[in-house]
Amino acid sequence: MDCRRTALPYFLLAPTLIFLLFFFVVPLFQVIGLAFSSEHSIFTLRHFNRMFGDIYYQDAVINTLKMAVIIIPIQLVVAFLSALIINKRFKGSTLFLYIYAIPLGISELGAGLIWLSIFTEKGYLNSILYQLGILKEAVIYLSYQSPQWIMTAIVITEVWRATPLVMIILLSGLQMIAKDYLEAADIFGANWWQKVWLIILPLLKPSIQSALIIRTLLAFQVFGPIIVLAGRLFPVMASESFFWYTLIRNEHVAATYALLLMVISMIITWSYLVFLKTKDEQVGVL
Amino acid sequence: MKRDSWQRSAITSSSVGFYLGASLIALCTLTPIILIAFAALTSRAELYTWPRSIIPTKFSLDNLKYFINAYGVLKSTFNSILVAMVTILLSLLIGAPAGYALSRFRFRGKEAFKLGILITRMFPTSLLAIPLAVMFLRWRIYDTILGVSLMHTSLSLPFTVLITASLFLKVPYELEEAALTLGCNRITAFIHVSLPLILPGLAAAGIFTFVTSWNEVFAASILTVQNRTLPAHIMATLEASPLNFKFAGGFFMIIPAIVFIFIIRKYLLSMWGISVNK
Amino acid sequence: MKQRRILILMITAAVATVALLVLPVVAKTQVFFASTQFRPIEEQQFIRDEILHPFTEKTAIKVTMLNEDYGPFIDRLLAEAKAKKSNTDVFGTLHGDFPDLLANGIPQDLKNLPALPGRTFIPELVKLGQMNGQQVYIPWTQATYLMVANKKALAYLPTGVELNALTYEQLLQWAKNMHEQTGGPKFGFPGGPKGLFGRMLHGYLYPSYTGHQVQKFNSPEGIELWKYLKELFKYSHPSSVIYESMSDPLLLEEVWVVWDHTARSSPALREKPDQFVAFPSPAGPKGRAFISVIAGLGIPRGAKNLEESWKLIDLFTQPETQVKILKGTGFFPTTYEAINYVPEGALKILAEAVTKQAGATDGIVTLLPVGLGNRSGEFVPIYTDTFQAIVVQGRPIETTLKRQEAILQKLFAETGAPYPQP
Repeated sequence: MDCRRTALPYFLLAPTLIFLLFFFVVPLFQVIGLAFSSEHSIFTLRHFNRMFGDIYYQDAVINTLKMAVIIIPIQLVVAFLSALIINKRFKGSTLFLYIYAIPLGISELGAGLIWLSIFTEKGYLNSILYQLGILKEAVIYLSYQSPQWIMTAIVITEVWRATPLVMIILLSGLQMIAKDYLEAADIFGANWWQKVWLIILPLLKPSIQSALIIRTLLAFQVFGPIIVLAGRLFPVMASESFFWYTLIRNEHVAATYALLLMVISMIITWSYLVFLKTKDEQVGVL
Repeated sequence: MKRDSWQRSAITSSSVGFYLGASLIALCTLTPIILIAFAALTSRAELYTWPRSIIPTKFSLDNLKYFINAYGVLKSTFNSILVAMVTILLSLLIGAPAGYALSRFRFRGKEAFKLGILITRMFPTSLLAIPLAVMFLRWRIYDTILGVSLMHTSLSLPFTVLITASLFLKVPYELEEAALTLGCNRITAFIHVSLPLILPGLAAAGIFTFVTSWNEVFAASILTVQNRTLPAHIMATLEASPLNFKFAGGFFMIIPAIVFIFIIRKYLLSMWGISVNK
Repeated sequence: MKQRRILILMITAAVATVALLVLPVVAKTQVFFASTQFRPIEEQQFIRDEILHPFTEKTAIKVTMLNEDYGPFIDRLLAEAKAKKSNTDVFGTLHGDFPDLLANGIPQDLKNLPALPGRTFIPELVKLGQMNGQQVYIPWTQATYLMVANKKALAYLPTGVELNALTYEQLLQWAKNMHEQTGGPKFGFPGGPKGLFGRMLHGYLYPSYTGHQVQKFNSPEGIELWKYLKELFKYSHPSSVIYESMSDPLLLEEVWVVWDHTARSSPALREKPDQFVAFPSPAGPKGRAFISVIAGLGIPRGAKNLEESWKLIDLFTQPETQVKILKGTGFFPTTYEAINYVPEGALKILAEAVTKQAGATDGIVTLLPVGLGNRSGEFVPIYTDTFQAIVVQGRPIETTLKRQEAILQKLFAETGAPYPQP
């Protein structure tokens, strides 16, 4: 490593810093401006009052959190199992890695349309179940009467679309675990469960933390599949921000939603960092 | 490849169950993709029948033709590709030097910089896109390829910085130092020694940036009107598009994912810090 | 060497990208036509292929049509007016957008342009296009919202009910019959975020039940209306809150009876004209309210290609073109010559229903609100939010209406807009 004091690294960082200044710091202040001001006054809370008073507001906040709470544990389990499978490096494991990773490249909108073809009343799911004789007639999944079905459809779509990212992060972590630990465990006669619980999971903690943070942040921003599958029946903060901007055309309330989302994201990331404390630099991989 | 004992024992003890589990996950991943492909290849009339046949009685390209020929699709596809290319270019030009600095130098403020990169991840796309729409109008780059590219660059730049940093870390600095003693300066040493070694990884990172930009819909919808990217175009016309358009569009949008993830499958892990091909 | 190949590839890609970016814009003489109408893919396609393409062949005038949402459309016209540089040569949008545009000095007076021979505009429509003593638009198309039913549904129609004189109470009975006798809900409406159900609430149901769109929002009659809607929704397809256009649900037979904009239900009729019937929207205690949607064509002040622009307007208002548009998209003509044309098939079904709706003895014509300016996007959501709160979320009617009425009144008070008719 070069330890000389030199200006070179700062020159190299400069373009990134300037860019971040223009495209993160400036927009942040502008959003704050949009959220707290109106045509008539420099400081106002009316946009916040409007958001708090909106009939979708409570559901949007609750659904945003609910989604993250339900989806992320499922993703962690599925991703961990997938990563364990790939990590065995059996014949064809690269092919399986590829297959598992495909949804990584599929957009929110694409995933929404894919699962729309499955979940509509006369869609593939009902068609398959009907042809197998399991259903006598089509079940309406995407209905205001069955919020649990809508929720299930969105959860399935999101688990399908976004688990590969978690898997990749965990797999990277798995590969860093030195074989010695596991060989030692073998010598002591540890079974598979003991190895997973006592060795792999603790050593994987930094990767799990990374995956948790990044997935939570991304889960808060999902809106494509939600809009496609549920319209406004399952409001979340990101979709409300979108609707206030494009449908109602009030960028102030859209900005308040964005700002609130950011604050919640920061609180959650901070609590992950505090409660899942790791010494590792893995966080930098985010 | 040499298998380690713990792995071998696990495989032989329950290899049938293992392959079943592995295949089950693969099946769950693939089925929706196969279904949307079938949906895109089913004739329009058959799409509307109940129960819908899973495998179309006759494969037809009519839906895809209809989709591609529909006004705005080719243009927005072209826009999407252009935006993605500019995004790759900008994020590499801006981000790679920072990644190099992170991997090669120890300097005051390094940790603060890394923290800053982490914080950018907490910015919801909506938080950036809404004020940028206002700014771009003022800068007269609203509704342009450049505007969307800048927005997408801001989404992918933190990723690029960290990826390039981890790529450079894997190139031993001694190699560059050796080149320095052999009469190269820092720049030529970089070009002759480090760059060739990280190119494949860089290409993979570029492809990943491409996919990210190709897929992004929130900001693209807000920042464009006339020069829409493909997802923004589909989003904007969704409410009044017939089923065959939606399904053909959905299938069309995921083709790059299928192809590009295949190309970079070996680099997926190295992009997250660690190499798969040890 | 593999690395070198990749490097060369990347450099080529980079150069190509830059080249494409700085590619000079080729200057062409063309008419730029911005429209808030004909946004659905199939309609756009039709206008381009069947109307604009032959026009370009004949006159060598290239028309670039941009179909955009109301917000961006108005924003762009405003920005162009501010910059005193009009890229738009012709624009087409709803009657209700023109007062705002006029207040910003955008449309020019079309009175003194050459006469358009060979057609007789409906005089009421021409008059609607006159504001502040100027002719700000030429009547372009008319549209409305109708009921469409699968013929299978007719078997469940309550006895003695005449389709063309249907009331909302009878619709409820019908929906109930279908639900109970077929085992599933068969009535549906486009209540999704971009669906047009909001128009049914403020332009159809409210005037039919209270006689007004706004004034009696929270009134005994209004409360009756919401009680009715709660009841109707019990027998409505529960995906109605997601549907944005009813053509697909009709074709998929998820629903049998729908209410929607003619242009959004007509694809189903065109696909299977023998399977569907169309009829006027139902009547309530105060009458049979319906929205008449009128779109006009205007030219911005300072537009460059005046002569070519006028030729485009000439094209769109020729009776032959209007008949073609009617056949292709379900938008109705504004000239007598085209109206007197008797269509066939799907269009015949629609045209008859439109005529019956317009000619209903208990008819109430509803106009869209004007003068809300940049807050016009907030009007319809007040009604759909009320629906969401009362019917979907099950909140109490009285308190919800009180709350929403306050928002509605505030919107009109702050913008100073007049209440829409009626």
